[in-house]
Amino acid sequence: MNLPLAALLVVLVAVIAASIALAAFYWAVRRKQFSIRDLNEGAYTIFDNDEPVGKPQDVMFDDSRKQNKKQ
Amino acid sequence: MTPESKTKSNDATERAKAFHQSDLMDDTELRVKIDESLASAVALFFATSLFWLLLGSIFGLIASYKMHWPDWLGEYAVLTFGRIRPAHLNTVAYGWVSLAGAGALLWMTSRLTRIPIKWGWMLFISVLLWNIGVAYGTGAIIFGYSRGMEWLEFPRIAGFIIALGFVFFALPILKTFIHRKVNHIYVSLWYILASVVWFPLLYLTANFGHYQGVVEAGMNWWYGHNLLTVWVTPIGLAMAYYFLPKVIGRPIYSYYLSLLGFWSFALFYNWNGIHHLIGGPLPTWLVTVSIVASVMMVIPVLAVAVNHHMTTFKHFHMLKFSPTLRFTVFGAMAYTAVSLQGSGMALRSINEITHFTHYTVGHAHLGVYAFSTMILFGGIYYIMPRLSKWEWPYPSLVKWHFWLTAIGVIIYVVALTIGGWYQGLDMNNPDKDFMESVLNTIPYLYLRSLGGTMMVVGHLIFIYHFALMVKRAGPRRFAPPWFKKPEEESAV
Repeated sequence: MNLPLAALLVVLVAVIAASIALAAFYWAVRRKQFSIRDLNEGAYTIFDNDEPVGKPQDVMFDDSRKQNKKQ
Repeated sequence: MTPESKTKSNDATERAKAFHQSDLMDDTELRVKIDESLASAVALFFATSLFWLLLGSIFGLIASYKMHWPDWLGEYAVLTFGRIRPAHLNTVAYGWVSLAGAGALLWMTSRLTRIPIKWGWMLFISVLLWNIGVAYGTGAIIFGYSRGMEWLEFPRIAGFIIALGFVFFALPILKTFIHRKVNHIYVSLWYILASVVWFPLLYLTANFGHYQGVVEAGMNWWYGHNLLTVWVTPIGLAMAYYFLPKVIGRPIYSYYLSLLGFWSFALFYNWNGIHHLIGGPLPTWLVTVSIVASVMMVIPVLAVAVNHHMTTFKHFHMLKFSPTLRFTVFGAMAYTAVSLQGSGMALRSINEITHFTHYTVGHAHLGVYAFSTMILFGGIYYIMPRLSKWEWPYPSLVKWHFWLTAIGVIIYVVALTIGGWYQGLDMNNPDKDFMESVLNTIPYLYLRSLGGTMMVVGHLIFIYHFALMVKRAGPRRFAPPWFKKPEEESAV
């Protein structure tokens, strides 16, 4: 009869998964991931000098039209 | 003319500079280094995923035709519906979505941590093991050795090979994360880390095998739905949160909301699986808890929906210019639709109509195709030119790919949603023959095959275009991914 082992396993996995989530949350709070400064600035992580805010990327179709006109 | 959003951009760039502190000396050089560190491995992930996409969608198409031409190819055991249909599910889930998603997550991790990938050699082992696992599992299904549980049809050994492949994929991500140059964990990275930690737990538990009877059914759907929770959805959301603001060139509308969305997602989504067994022999409380959690999913879904919509708001004209944005916005809208639809389908009163009908199949394709697959296409359009240093040669092929797959999946989902709903009403009507409920679906099944055929033609175009790019065939184009402008190149 495998039922008790299965139940134990599922509960164990649930506890491990929840613990990982809680630990990650606790760690993140301690490391000030959710401090006001980080939350205000965090959204800018994906931008930099060469790909700044206000500069669209991946302008494929516009580019092709410009090139065709040049030709 | 390149579209540009001008307001506040200077101020925002200054804030970005301040945030990155010392890492800004040469951003382009860093990006090239990052891309070179994982170019071959990620390209391999993408290329092999496309093989599974093609094979999986051909399996799907055969299964779809069989729904209205039941005798077609019926004389070959390997091509019977009972084998082709699970082969379709498993190849697209573990082959296409997983491998393409893994490639995209690796690339984004490196970009978001701002360092070249660590332990990159492991990725080649990962892609090899992963493909061996999927090939072995698919062969087993086709030749009649399926385990007979939805989403878990692969034999256990194939599951363990894939899990081992996943370990070799996850370790470089974790190692890269530990050595990151950016202290802040961007919201996409939260989704990536969550999937990297939770997916192995889920997959190994489900493949462990000490389950019987009702518990096995419960485990089956705990796994089935959580595969979407901890793997398919985080891939799509991580990509949407990266590509939407990046391509448009403006930060996410509300970063607070995006993190609230992530944590409520982590809290509620993993309870949802048992709503697949409404009406089944599980304890009622268990099913009810799952229904409540499914409805609670409205919170993270609305957080994501508001954020994506407001980020794109007033920039919809950019859909004209960017293939990545077209696919990603389409996928993000589908995510909102499929999630709210899913919360509704978990309600007992709706579920008693939609369960065991084509409605559910339409819902599944709205999720894994219209949301996940479309965002993956968009991501590959962005990532590949940067890895191969060769722009997509024919923009017209990208347009064909988009319109064929977008219209195809809309036809598919709308047909099955309407047909499936009527099928459910017919099945619940004691005055109607069961056969009547089957025959009434046939026009909708033809429409589904039409939508499916359009999607497969779109895939063929995409794969052809991908092959041209890898071979560096076709006209050379100088789009933004190029680090040097044409005039700079000729001057060198």
